[in-house]
Amino acid sequence: MSGAFEIASGVRTGAVRAQDAAADALRRAREDIDAGEDGLHAVLQMFEDRAMASAEAIDARVARGEDPGPLAGVPVLVKDNICTGFGRTTCGSRFLERYESPFSATCVERLESAGAVVIGKTNLDEFGMGSSGEHSAFGPTRHPLDRERVPGGSSSGSAAAVGAGIAPVALGSDTGGSVRQPASFCGLVGLKPTYGRVSRWGLVAFASSLDQVGVLSASVRDAALTLSSIAGHDPRDSTSSAHPSEDFTRELAQTLDGIRVGVPKLASASQNHPSVHDAIERTKTALQARGVQIVPIELPSLEQAVPAYYVIAPAEASSNLARFDGVRYGRRAALQPGEGLDVLYKRSRTEGFGEEVRRRIMLGTHVLSSGYYDAYYETAMRVRRVIAREFTGVCAENGVCDAVLMPTTPGPAFRLGEKTTDPLALWLEDVYTTPANLAGLPAISVPAGFTEGTDTGGVRLPIGVQLIGRAFDEARLCRIAHAIEVSAQS
Amino acid sequence: MTDPAAMTRAEREAANIVAVRLIVGMEIHVELATRRKVFASAPSPAHRDFADAAPNTLTDPVVLALPGALPVVNERAIELAAGVGLALGCRLAEVTRFDRKSYAYPDLPKGYQISQLGLPVCFDGLARVPRLDAHAKPTGAVVEVPIARAHLEEDAGKLLHELPAELAHLHPGARLAGLIVDLNRAGAALLEIVTAPTLVSADEAVSLARGVRAIARALGASEGVLEAGHIRFEPNINTELTFDTGRTVRTPIVEVKNLNSFKALRGSIEAELRDQPDRWRETGLAFAPGTKTTRGWDDERARTTPQRDKEEADDYRYFPDPDLVPIRLTRAWGDRVRDALPELPCARFERYTRELGLEGEPALALSEEPALAALFDEAVRIALETGASRAESAARAVANLLLQSGARLANERGVPLDALGLDAHDLGQLGAMREQGELSAQTSDQLMTRLASGERHPRELAEAGGMLTVRDAGQLDEWCDAGIAAEPQAASEFGAGNDKAVGRLIAAVMRASAGQADAKAARDAVTRKLR
Repeated sequence: MSGAFEIASGVRTGAVRAQDAAADALRRAREDIDAGEDGLHAVLQMFEDRAMASAEAIDARVARGEDPGPLAGVPVLVKDNICTGFGRTTCGSRFLERYESPFSATCVERLESAGAVVIGKTNLDEFGMGSSGEHSAFGPTRHPLDRERVPGGSSSGSAAAVGAGIAPVALGSDTGGSVRQPASFCGLVGLKPTYGRVSRWGLVAFASSLDQVGVLSASVRDAALTLSSIAGHDPRDSTSSAHPSEDFTRELAQTLDGIRVGVPKLASASQNHPSVHDAIERTKTALQARGVQIVPIELPSLEQAVPAYYVIAPAEASSNLARFDGVRYGRRAALQPGEGLDVLYKRSRTEGFGEEVRRRIMLGTHVLSSGYYDAYYETAMRVRRVIAREFTGVCAENGVCDAVLMPTTPGPAFRLGEKTTDPLALWLEDVYTTPANLAGLPAISVPAGFTEGTDTGGVRLPIGVQLIGRAFDEARLCRIAHAIEVSAQS
Repeated sequence: MTDPAAMTRAEREAANIVAVRLIVGMEIHVELATRRKVFASAPSPAHRDFADAAPNTLTDPVVLALPGALPVVNERAIELAAGVGLALGCRLAEVTRFDRKSYAYPDLPKGYQISQLGLPVCFDGLARVPRLDAHAKPTGAVVEVPIARAHLEEDAGKLLHELPAELAHLHPGARLAGLIVDLNRAGAALLEIVTAPTLVSADEAVSLARGVRAIARALGASEGVLEAGHIRFEPNINTELTFDTGRTVRTPIVEVKNLNSFKALRGSIEAELRDQPDRWRETGLAFAPGTKTTRGWDDERARTTPQRDKEEADDYRYFPDPDLVPIRLTRAWGDRVRDALPELPCARFERYTRELGLEGEPALALSEEPALAALFDEAVRIALETGASRAESAARAVANLLLQSGARLANERGVPLDALGLDAHDLGQLGAMREQGELSAQTSDQLMTRLASGERHPRELAEAGGMLTVRDAGQLDEWCDAGIAAEPQAASEFGAGNDKAVGRLIAAVMRASAGQADAKAARDAVTRKLR
């Protein structure tokens, strides 16, 4: 399968028909849906007629000599917690099983106006809560290289689908690593932009101060190309930045001379899978060979990110999910005579939400309750500010580095069920990804090799590394990531 | 005597309370008349253009709290909130922030209300309002009320327990099983003004309530229609009981919710002042954290009643709303809002009473209504240009024309006084003629009627209609004789020393003159003739 850049270039010059690209992607998506339990369970829903009609319109525009845009004819999949004004938006939840949004998210509108063809919606951990793809109400997503393993989460379906070549690009959302971690597991590029870079209008909120729409793709170029189309200010989102969008691919061909990459000392490093350490070392060597200066740095509070994150994110989630009350839309439990409003709330939510969502709502409600607020929420917010300060202290124009290199995950994709009995173990998966969300910084996971396969059932599993950059410095981040990608492929 | 807090019921029954001091703090909710809701683009029912919208028609994804929808603050709401705050003498926040207040209720779509906890738009004010007596009459003095804060929040929707009239035909005769939620009001901009607990009487509370309503209307911040719920009052009431031993005890605070008339506000405060000492004798409960209760107002029985409602949730789990960024209010912006403020009703009231010498009642009536005040001010200016000799008497003449003839006409037509279509120039000229004694009360009233019917130029009307007061002594003599002849009974009574009978005689003289006689001259002449 071709990448997004190749498809768009082909479609714009008339060498490739958007309808063929869409038909191919739809056929592969159909196979995944038809495979049911035996498939990856990456795609929840597809928009065959609509996608073919959009592709036809794009071909017609090319035929008229018009330019349908930088993503002309590129088939894309959208994580199902991003609203589409067509079809369903389920968030992987029983609660919204049949919910149809009357509007599309800004990022979906922008994808389409850039010429992309939305072919379907992808599976996810319910409301984006989970790091394995196992917490979808509609069944777990499986890893494209090993069906017994998880693809990571929560953008599990987007990662599995791009990994399996169903579509070249998929949108995900990243609250604590939900784009980067599955990208790392599936051997993909996962780009989480700066907070505020992409409008959150239409992204169903999990934790508003952390959520960002991100991109999963097979290459840095495709991620950068896609981000260029969806970024930029949106008056419908108060937290959307005034920064205009840019061509994030523009620096990819530039050299890395003079770039400084900081590598933090990690207390947790010894607990990581050996392939993670190897990937970082290989990447350092490859970057140095391209003129990058590797700088050892200290981010002393980095590993406090998980506890802070698991206070702030559930706190916001408990409030964001309060709207799912069974009154206006979504699941409404049946009541017996004499049962009142309290029962309606309790039963609708108990029936509608899965265990992990309920766990986080309970946790979030607790940390915000009077008497606990200062100890948990206030403290977590202080830690958050410290982490952000540490990053901006080292990673700045006048700091010691231009970007930070560290692992995306502590290890490769784990087995289905391996961490479901121990929520804490699953939460620790997020140790390297949550800091960028807490600090609001852009971060990208890029493939950097594979496990030996000796301890992973003979399957060589992908390992990604992560770069975290300065706010709104995605172009440079993509440039460094592109160099890593190229060396890993050679 | 033992500590009041440790008294037995019998001791409390027997305790001799020698003084009861009332302590009241007020929360006043003003629905801001913005076109759009405070965080949504849907129209607001507090704006006159949308006041009559059918249920659930003023909604959008934000109001309905659809997944993926986000709030964006309506800057006009911030501006109106700041304006009202400044008019209440408040300081403006340098940075203002929104917080989420969580509770579950079907009229609150998001499951939380966007409000302000730590950084309200305005704080630390001192409201100045005309003081009213127990009959809602202005005393002429002004009350100053410390304002703790004024913050912006969103209103909730409404729950209907019965089918609205327009839907009743769908289920004729059926009783509603469950509730109907109407979200038109949900998300309307609400300014909550909170005073310090320094009010000492129902009079002061009502004075403040009426003064705030006048300010909100003067600024165009609210239509101020109480029956429509545009302004709602929530007094927090308790009392301090003093015993003959000199010891004191404070009763628990009662918050009376959602009052939408001055009468209910007065009634609930007076009822609590009456009932709280008895309640203390019965329960022994004294003021302490956690003892505050919420009550409603029963208008028929003139008492408050216990209320258990959504607001009683014990923990709102406030936290800063991550969907809304803090807003910096610059000094320059604040100055622009301040400079755009109109003359405030209380300042106008004081100008009318002090500079123009009006009595409290007319001064209040004219100062409270912005359009009426503008008409009055302009008419007084014209009166002085067209022959009136003194500002005070011209003001009195114009005020009387408006508040007597004008009010009568407005009442007859069922329109507000400022909607009679009176021209300021004509009104001023009429005032000047009246001030100069060129018109009697009767003829000026006739001319007001004609002006309100669209006629113009009162001097020409008066001349053409022979309505100007006649100064000819012989003519007056004739009219007096005719009047005395018409009222022989009154004439003999007045002649015998009954001063009250002169009224009937003057009325008869005025009738005989078709209003052209000068009433004062007629009185002198009649007195000369009969005494």
